[in-house]
Amino acid sequence: MNNLVAIEGILIAVILTDLLLLGSSRLRTCIRMVGIQGVVAGLLPILLHHAENPLRAWLLAAGSVAIKGVVFPLLLLRVLRDVGVRREVEPFIGYTSSLMAGVAALIFSLWVGSRVTLPGTSSASSLMIPAGLATILIGLVVIITRRKAVSQVLGYIVVENGIYVFGVSLVGGVPALVELGVLMDAFVAVLLMGIAIHHISREFDHTDVDRLDQLKG
Amino acid sequence: MVANFALWSILMLPVLTAGLCLLLGSPKRIMWVVAVGGGGWAVFAGAVACTALSSVSITAARNWLLLDALSAYHMSVLAVVFGASSIYARRYFQGEISAGTLSPSAARKFGALWFGSVAAMASVLLCNNLGFMWVGIEATTLLTAFLICVHITPLSLEAMWKYLVVCSVGVAFAFVGTLLVASAAQALGHNAGDMLLWTVLRADAGGLAPGPMKVAFIFLVVGYGTKAGLAPLHSWLPDAHSQAPAPVSALLSGFILNAALYCIMRYLPLVEAATGEIGWGRQLLVVLGIASMVVAAAFILFQHDGKRLLAYSSIEHMGIITLGLGLGGLGTFAGLWHVLNHSVCKTLAFFSVGWLGQMYGTHDLGRIAGAMRRSPVWGFSFFASVLVLIGVAPFAIFMSELQILRAAVDGHAYVILGIFLGAVGIVFVGALRLVLAPAWGREVIVPKPQPAELGDLLLVFAGLGLLLLLGLWLPVPLREAMESAAQIIRGGP
Repeated sequence: MNNLVAIEGILIAVILTDLLLLGSSRLRTCIRMVGIQGVVAGLLPILLHHAENPLRAWLLAAGSVAIKGVVFPLLLLRVLRDVGVRREVEPFIGYTSSLMAGVAALIFSLWVGSRVTLPGTSSASSLMIPAGLATILIGLVVIITRRKAVSQVLGYIVVENGIYVFGVSLVGGVPALVELGVLMDAFVAVLLMGIAIHHISREFDHTDVDRLDQLKG
Repeated sequence: MVANFALWSILMLPVLTAGLCLLLGSPKRIMWVVAVGGGGWAVFAGAVACTALSSVSITAARNWLLLDALSAYHMSVLAVVFGASSIYARRYFQGEISAGTLSPSAARKFGALWFGSVAAMASVLLCNNLGFMWVGIEATTLLTAFLICVHITPLSLEAMWKYLVVCSVGVAFAFVGTLLVASAAQALGHNAGDMLLWTVLRADAGGLAPGPMKVAFIFLVVGYGTKAGLAPLHSWLPDAHSQAPAPVSALLSGFILNAALYCIMRYLPLVEAATGEIGWGRQLLVVLGIASMVVAAAFILFQHDGKRLLAYSSIEHMGIITLGLGLGGLGTFAGLWHVLNHSVCKTLAFFSVGWLGQMYGTHDLGRIAGAMRRSPVWGFSFFASVLVLIGVAPFAIFMSELQILRAAVDGHAYVILGIFLGAVGIVFVGALRLVLAPAWGREVIVPKPQPAELGDLLLVFAGLGLLLLLGLWLPVPLREAMESAAQIIRGGP
């Protein structure tokens, strides 16, 4: 019973960090939010799968907390310092509207969650699938509506977090080796994006993705 | 024991060679390692693939690695594309090395990522576990991203950024699909280690829950379709193909797109069996295939850059292959045949346009006018390979397209037939109009001379000769190999 409270607490924390990310223009705050989200989501396997397969649960949790909670924020904060960007300036959709989009995504996800029951998902909490789906959608909103390259990386990490929550809800789940491979891929992807942003700011003197528009047709 | 050794060597040899490239100091030596190592790997992987094609499938590492007819066929296509591209890469960078524009660090980066990406592609083909197959696809994105900007320029950075973000996010959807397949597979009651093995799922595919499998397949097609460049998910493709160095464009177009399509081929029999063989999954592929052909045909009309022309042609051909898979029956066989034909021809076309680009300093087809006089070998090769790509008889691409048309007629899909012919017709006219200038046009700029060697001539004639030969006469062992690969996609025994 305690477990259920903890799990739902984590899921609510994940959704709250989603919404705070949507509403904030300070990139430093956004990075912190995504880091916190990584840590709390990373703890889920311990609560969910500890009984069946403790080794897998601890391995996964340790890996994702370390990478998403520690490595990603440090890496991105460093990129921010190098590039000299502090704020997201004028996103394509204002903060209030993107918060509205986030809430709409959440409502849609809750609706989907109430309609669809997947075989093999745990009955631990009916919030699992909506929380995962909403996080994926909000990550996409961030990628699409923000101008700065760093924000797109944050959106990508949020999508990854959403998929992670979604994946954890499967009982037994995919083999731990596969999950670790996925985590490794996400790590390398963010690392490469960081390096790419560094090069972009050197070549262009800015990191506004919407101004990367030389190639067309 | 032998099987274990062979499959692990296919994966590990490129990793070791990548390490070797990092240790070397001179760009010239690195390019020799690329040529010799790449060619050697191609021969080895091709030989293993042929063994698997002519006899039974090879499994290793407790069934986690599998080389059956379908993956062996793709492995041999990969061997051809990668071997040729490695040999060509040394020639392509030769001028840059002697001019000093390729720094040792850029050469090291190229060598290491070049072999790293082939290891990732081979792992996509060899992994029986669908989760690892996904990890492999994502790894190809990550390893090839910096190959696109071997020379860091604003344009190549822009292309690389789009490629990295669009493909990473797109392919993430395929992982959601993989998770949904895992959830559908829970009901089969296998333990977690075996649950995502393709062979296990294939054996019990009829017992997979149809609802989740349908949702899963949509996610998988969107995810892997992004990587395969299927319209409307192709936005990254023309940019990445046009900005990458020619050997990398050849590898991107000649195999990475196919690697993503290969993943869809693996899932198709699963979703078909789960939904009761009513062609639900295939219909989805027909729609995407047709859309890609139409979009490519529309955009090809407005191109003037040689590499972008070839990129849009790749979207068209990926659409044709997908359409073939969607039609099923004979179409599956023809689609697989088209994979080989397109990869060989597109590789050769990128080699040619890349070489001309090195001579003229541009890929603009209007500005490289008269290239056939300046470089008879590569100029002719470019013209001829574009002709083959747009479907001139009796080359192999024409023959495989004809087979897909026959599949459409067999299925009474006359609307599809009409759209297919319309799109191919537009591409024919549009592309032909564009390549007349490089062939016979009046010269605009005087290129720097780069004489072709005997090796180049052999490469061109091997490619065109293979395409002509396959068009005129399909050897029985190859036909049987493709037939058994097609049977895997169709499902059934």
